[in-house]
Amino acid sequence: MIQILTILHALLAVALLGALTHQAFSVTRRGSAHGHSFVDRYRGVNSPTFTNVIVLLFIATSIGGGLLYPRYRIDVRSTLEDLQLRSANGVFEIKEHFAALGLGLLPAYWLFWRPPLAAEFAAARKYVTWMLAFVVWWNFLVGEVLNNIKGLYP
Amino acid sequence: MNRHTSFKVFSLLFGAVYMGLFWLNEFYGIAFLRYYPVLGGFYNVRQPPETAGPAILWYFWLFGALAVSLAASLVVPRKWAERIPHNLVWLVSAALFLAIFVYERRWFY
Repeated sequence: MIQILTILHALLAVALLGALTHQAFSVTRRGSAHGHSFVDRYRGVNSPTFTNVIVLLFIATSIGGGLLYPRYRIDVRSTLEDLQLRSANGVFEIKEHFAALGLGLLPAYWLFWRPPLAAEFAAARKYVTWMLAFVVWWNFLVGEVLNNIKGLYP
Repeated sequence: MNRHTSFKVFSLLFGAVYMGLFWLNEFYGIAFLRYYPVLGGFYNVRQPPETAGPAILWYFWLFGALAVSLAASLVVPRKWAERIPHNLVWLVSAALFLAIFVYERRWFY
């Protein structure tokens, strides 16, 4: 059961990572969004349509993480302590705080991305999106490293 | 749009309350609810680690922040919420992110 939940958590995180990275690139838009380069096309997506999905994926991924946490606390963290991998514990501590702050930002994020996009929200929309993207990238990378840490530190 | 301005209040408060509850425990050992995965239940008093194992406080910090920020976002009048600068939401969050990095650097020495 725990393996299925871990894989589901990772898959949701991948979907969230993809959607939020698209949106984070789209708010950096400079000049034409309809260029022909890969980057232009990558950031030229219809970003507001991603918003509800991102909110749902963020909440679902966080719930998955919350369900996995007890097992982590008993099995993984004690292993990290036995191996004296303090920095691994530290990056996880940061991950849990980031997940919480990200959850708290979701209502404002949703408000700032409500169509029609309000010009008065442009700066707030950009920075909140970048912060959420940073949270998701950090948490994804930390989760993957910790999940594979026994292979990484033989 | 006006109908949803209370969302700004929620987002502004959630992170601050979460970190406040976290630091309340870090500096004073105060937590109103702890989850003990070995025992499989929530307890409002500290259990002996020899039998209860480690405690998880993250749920308490999350639900505490949720309760406070939800209540505040419902209570704060819409006119007040409208006056909150939009950029304050991300500025406060950015400050909290920075504070987390500064505080949690203790793990890397």
